[in-house]
Amino acid sequence: MTMPESSARPPRSSRYYRPRRPISMTVLIIGLIAGIAGGLYIAWELAPVEEQNTAPWQLNEQGQADYIVAIMLAYAHDSDLSKAVNRLLELRIEGDPIEHVAVVACNLARTGYVAESGGDHAIRAMMNFYQLQGRSGCADQVMPLSPQPTPTFDLMIGATPTLPPPPAKTATPDGFTEGVTPTPTVRVAPTVAPQQEFAIVRQERFCDADFPAIIEVYVQETGGASLPGQRVRARWNGGESLFISGVKPGRGADYADFDMTPDISYTVDMPGLSDPSDVMISSGCFDATGAQTQSSYRVVFRPAF
Amino acid sequence: MLRFLISLILGAVLGLALGLYLGWVQFPVEYLSSPITALDPKYQDSYAVMVAQGFQSDSDAVGAVQRLRVLGVENVPEYVFLQAERYITNSGTPLEIQALIALSEGLGRTSPLFDQYRPVGTP
Repeated sequence: MTMPESSARPPRSSRYYRPRRPISMTVLIIGLIAGIAGGLYIAWELAPVEEQNTAPWQLNEQGQADYIVAIMLAYAHDSDLSKAVNRLLELRIEGDPIEHVAVVACNLARTGYVAESGGDHAIRAMMNFYQLQGRSGCADQVMPLSPQPTPTFDLMIGATPTLPPPPAKTATPDGFTEGVTPTPTVRVAPTVAPQQEFAIVRQERFCDADFPAIIEVYVQETGGASLPGQRVRARWNGGESLFISGVKPGRGADYADFDMTPDISYTVDMPGLSDPSDVMISSGCFDATGAQTQSSYRVVFRPAF
Repeated sequence: MLRFLISLILGAVLGLALGLYLGWVQFPVEYLSSPITALDPKYQDSYAVMVAQGFQSDSDAVGAVQRLRVLGVENVPEYVFLQAERYITNSGTPLEIQALIALSEGLGRTSPLFDQYRPVGTP
C-alpha cells in the first residue's frame, strides 16, 4: 500500500523546503562557547595582563601596614580625620578600618619595628588616631603613653593674651627654665581640633526588620528642633551620595536616610560642616521580634557650639 | 560536514576574540598581595607626601628614608627632590609641596624653585 502523492510530500512549512543556511547555528554556538572558554583561559592563566596601576587595596599585608603607617603620620601632622578615613577606605579593609589600625599598631608594637628609626613615633601616631575614635588595641599595653603624646599642636605664645610670669615668681611653669628663652610653642593635649560647625551627638546601631540596612540621619538644632534642607553625605570606598534632610514625607523635617549595602563600610558627614562619623557596616542581626534582618544606624547631627 | 566545520571554526574564532577581550580588557586579572613596590605611581606620590608630612612632625630623616626605601627607591633624596620639583611644576597643593620641600631639604637637596614655597617668616 502506497500513500497518495499529496500526503507523502512534506508540508510547505517544513525545513526541508527552506534553503539550507551556510552555517549551523548550533555548531556555531558550541564553537563560540569553546572559543570564549579558550580566550578566558589564555587571558587569565597563560598570558594575564601585566601588573600595573596597583591600588593600595591590592597590596600585601606588609605593604598595607606601610601604607597605614604613612596615613597615620600624615594624620599626626595635619589632624585631618576625614582625609585619613578616606585614605583608609582606599585599602578596602574588611570590617572596621579604624579597628584595623589598632590591629596593625599592635602587630608593629610587638615586633622590632618599634626600635627602628621613627617606629615609636609612627606607632604612637596610630594609637592616638584610634584612641581618639574610641578604639583600643594591644599596643596600648605594649607601649604606654609617654608624658608628651603625639601628635601635638603648636600654639604660638604670642598669639595668646597671657603675660609671661614675672621674674620674682619662684614657681616656673613646666617647660620654662631660668635663663632659657621660652620656646615659641606649647604642647597641648592631642585632641581633634573642632574645625566644624556640626558635630555628631549620637551614633548608634540598631536592628529592626522594618528598616533594614539604612542610615537614618537627623539634623537638629541644639535644643532638638528640626533643621530641614541640610546636606548630608554618605561616603564609601569609591563613591559618595548626597541627600537632604526633611524631604522624606512623614519622617520629620530633620530626617534623611541612606540605603546601605551589607558589608560595605560607610561614613556620613555634613560636607564642610562636620567631621565624618565612625565607620558603619550593615551586618546580619535579629530584631526584637526575633526576625533576622540587616543592622542599621542612626546618626544625629547638632551644632557644635 | 564542511558546513559544520566552518561553523565550528567561525564560532571558535569569534569566541576566542570575545574571551580575550573579556579577560584582558573587561575583566582583567586583579592582583592581590602585591608588594608596595608595585604601587601605582599616583599612590607612590601620595605615599611619599604622607611620609614627608610625617617628617615635618618628627624631623626624623632616617625614618623617612627607611619608609621611602620600601618603594624600591635607591636614591631617596633624589627621588624626593624630583617629586618636589614635579609637584611645583604640576601645581600640587602648597601643603604637599611644602612637605616635600621640607623633606628634600632635610635630606640635603634644595633648589631655587623651593624659595617661594617656604612659609613666610622662616629664615
